[in-house]
Amino acid sequence: MEIKLENTKAQMRKGVLELCVLSIISDGEAYPSDIISKLKGSELIVVEGTLYPLLNRLKDAGLLEYNWQESKQGPPRKYYKITNLGSMFLDNLFETWQVLNQSVNQLYNLKSKQKNEQDI
Amino acid sequence: MNKTFNINLGGYPFAINDDAYSYVQKYLDSIQNHFSDSKGCDEIVNDIEVRMAELFNEHLKGRIIISMREVNEVIAIMGKPEDFGAEPLEMQDNFSHATNETKTSLGTAKKLFRNPEDKKIAGVCSGIAAYFGIDDPIWIRLLFILMFFTVGSGALAYIIMWALVPEAKTSSDKLAMRGEPTTVYNIAKLVEDEITEFGDKINKWSKDFTSKKG
Repeated sequence: MEIKLENTKAQMRKGVLELCVLSIISDGEAYPSDIISKLKGSELIVVEGTLYPLLNRLKDAGLLEYNWQESKQGPPRKYYKITNLGSMFLDNLFETWQVLNQSVNQLYNLKSKQKNEQDI
Repeated sequence: MNKTFNINLGGYPFAINDDAYSYVQKYLDSIQNHFSDSKGCDEIVNDIEVRMAELFNEHLKGRIIISMREVNEVIAIMGKPEDFGAEPLEMQDNFSHATNETKTSLGTAKKLFRNPEDKKIAGVCSGIAAYFGIDDPIWIRLLFILMFFTVGSGALAYIIMWALVPEAKTSSDKLAMRGEPTTVYNIAKLVEDEITEFGDKINKWSKDFTSKKG
């Protein structure tokens, strides 16, 4: 039972993670470790390794691009930036998210309301 | 006393203990294997190396040498490649059905080896059986014997293959022979199997020895 729950949670996180990563990068250029620290605390990322293949995939799809910037502490760093295509993709994703969010809340409220009425 | 290595991980220099070094090596290999089909494989591995280097710097807290302790901490944060769960979107639908299938296909390609662990002459037949995924090499052996009597070329074919096909010597050879991907877990399993087998052999020898004596 518990394993099944974890599976479903992982599936949910997958789609939402993409939305959040794009959204963080759309606020301005971002270094992967910054993205991780912003995602931390949220339940979105379980292991950090998840981020790197995702960034790679979004870059290949033309939604992100990166450039190298010198760093004081170590080797040059990769900074990611959102492309025009990426912004459009993000807006679209966000709309879908809002619709989904609304529908889920509505359904859930309806259910708890019915339950309350039954209790009375 | 412990041997250490000097390494360059994602552009940062580190000193690392022998055991920790080989574990990190295996971990990175398993990531490489997991993504070997994606075209950004090297880039992903590089990015992960950079992040691991940053994490090592955080976790060393002024200590000088990376030991298994830091390696375990950092790998727990980065996660196993199987847990990354970041397959391309097109694959997601199939992914839930075919987890096992994708895992094997992401691994090393199957290679033909002679199998030294199950041999009658030189392990050619059992190597072929492993290559085609046949459980019992007896069928291939029968085929060769049949070829020997009918066409007469069975023996020649066997000798040629003996000469040309390499023997599976290392752990990763043995995994490639069965078409299993080289991951940390597979290698660990294989090593375990070998140790038990070795233990069995020693038991047998000592039994033989005592029975001869008696």
